[in-house]
Amino acid sequence: MKIETFIVSDMHCPACVMRLEALEDELAGVKRITANYKKQNMIVEFDEMQITSLEIKDAVTEIGYTIA
Amino acid sequence: MDGSIWVAFVTGLTAGGLSCMAVQGGLVTSSLAGQIENEIAKPKGKKQSKVPQKPSIRFVKPIILFLISKLVAYTFLGFLLGSIGSVLSLTPTVRGILQIAIALFMLGNALRLLNVHPIFRYFSFEPPASIRRMIRQKSKNQENIFSPILMGFLTLLIPCGVTQSMMALAISSGSALTGGLLMFAFTLGASPVFFLLTYLATKLGTLTEKYFTRLVAVALVVFGLIAFDTGLNLVGFPFTISRFTQQVRGDQSTVQASTGVLGSQTQNIPTLAPQNTGNDVYIQVQDQGYYPYKSIAKADQTVNLHLVTDGVYSCSRAFVIPSLDISKILSATGEEIVEIPPQKAGTELYYSCSMGMYSGMIVFE
Repeated sequence: MKIETFIVSDMHCPACVMRLEALEDELAGVKRITANYKKQNMIVEFDEMQITSLEIKDAVTEIGYTIA
Repeated sequence: MDGSIWVAFVTGLTAGGLSCMAVQGGLVTSSLAGQIENEIAKPKGKKQSKVPQKPSIRFVKPIILFLISKLVAYTFLGFLLGSIGSVLSLTPTVRGILQIAIALFMLGNALRLLNVHPIFRYFSFEPPASIRRMIRQKSKNQENIFSPILMGFLTLLIPCGVTQSMMALAISSGSALTGGLLMFAFTLGASPVFFLLTYLATKLGTLTEKYFTRLVAVALVVFGLIAFDTGLNLVGFPFTISRFTQQVRGDQSTVQASTGVLGSQTQNIPTLAPQNTGNDVYIQVQDQGYYPYKSIAKADQTVNLHLVTDGVYSCSRAFVIPSLDISKILSATGEEIVEIPPQKAGTELYYSCSMGMYSGMIVFE
């Protein structure tokens, strides 16, 4: 398992937090996502064998957010 | 209907509906969409999209169930908050301070929504991660009509900023009934917007949400300023927008003319209240405020303030003099006499309704 922090700079309300965390149920290999509106980031715990950082970033971009 | 209840309703109809939608909308639409999906198709795998491409009439029933449930839940919450406020027995000054704090919270939230500075993100309260996860899990189990009802109740855990302000207002009302009515009116007002936006949500994406965010921010600024102004009235602050507006509109009038101090304001002597004599000052309490706006009383002696009502049903009936901690609920029709202890010459005594919406003053000479 790998834990990585991503910057999501355009979260504009706590609803975005829940929307991003919902990816936890959508992406195979992602064990846990904890997003933080105040810090504008999301901490993702995932299995590198099943999903890559790039795929996570793509999923975030797909639902309308900018991730770094 | 009480003015404050109307304000709560209009707040719900404008800022509340949009703001609630921004916070709770995504969650609700995805859960409702899940329910529709269950009805029209076999359950799909975990990784597939839950949102159908077109809004369906089948959305109507679960959305209405959700909104009714939310209405009941928040009315009950308002009742509880009002009860807490009544136990605390808040004085007009404390209520005013609370209202000013609410106003600052609303304005801070507006600046947060407009992304003015990262510091304003602290005006937003997020539920803990465990509660967020629990709500998400519950929202996925859409198997019967109880799910939208449960979701409606669960929105109590994720109130938007405007709702939080309204909750604080329910506490400051100091009455279980008023608290319940405030939250009922606010949630009812928010319902049509919530319904429409939820119904159309499959076509509204993040972009639209961002657009509405700005609208919410503007509405919050307006209501925040109103709350700030009424809060200042409640603590007896002499310079407020509403007092100034009364002057400009020419509503301000004076009984028992004085020289110099009052200037041109003495031109409009009303016939609404009996002429003041001796130590008696008459104030006509009406749905739209207090007449005259300014009264003159004798200094250094006890003054009987006659509050005359005739079929009054607005919040002007809840009369307060913050600096003396006097608070009276007037009957719809009748006359209440409030005894004011001797005041020094030159004293200006400010009074208002308990919500700070209507105000007036007594000058001692």
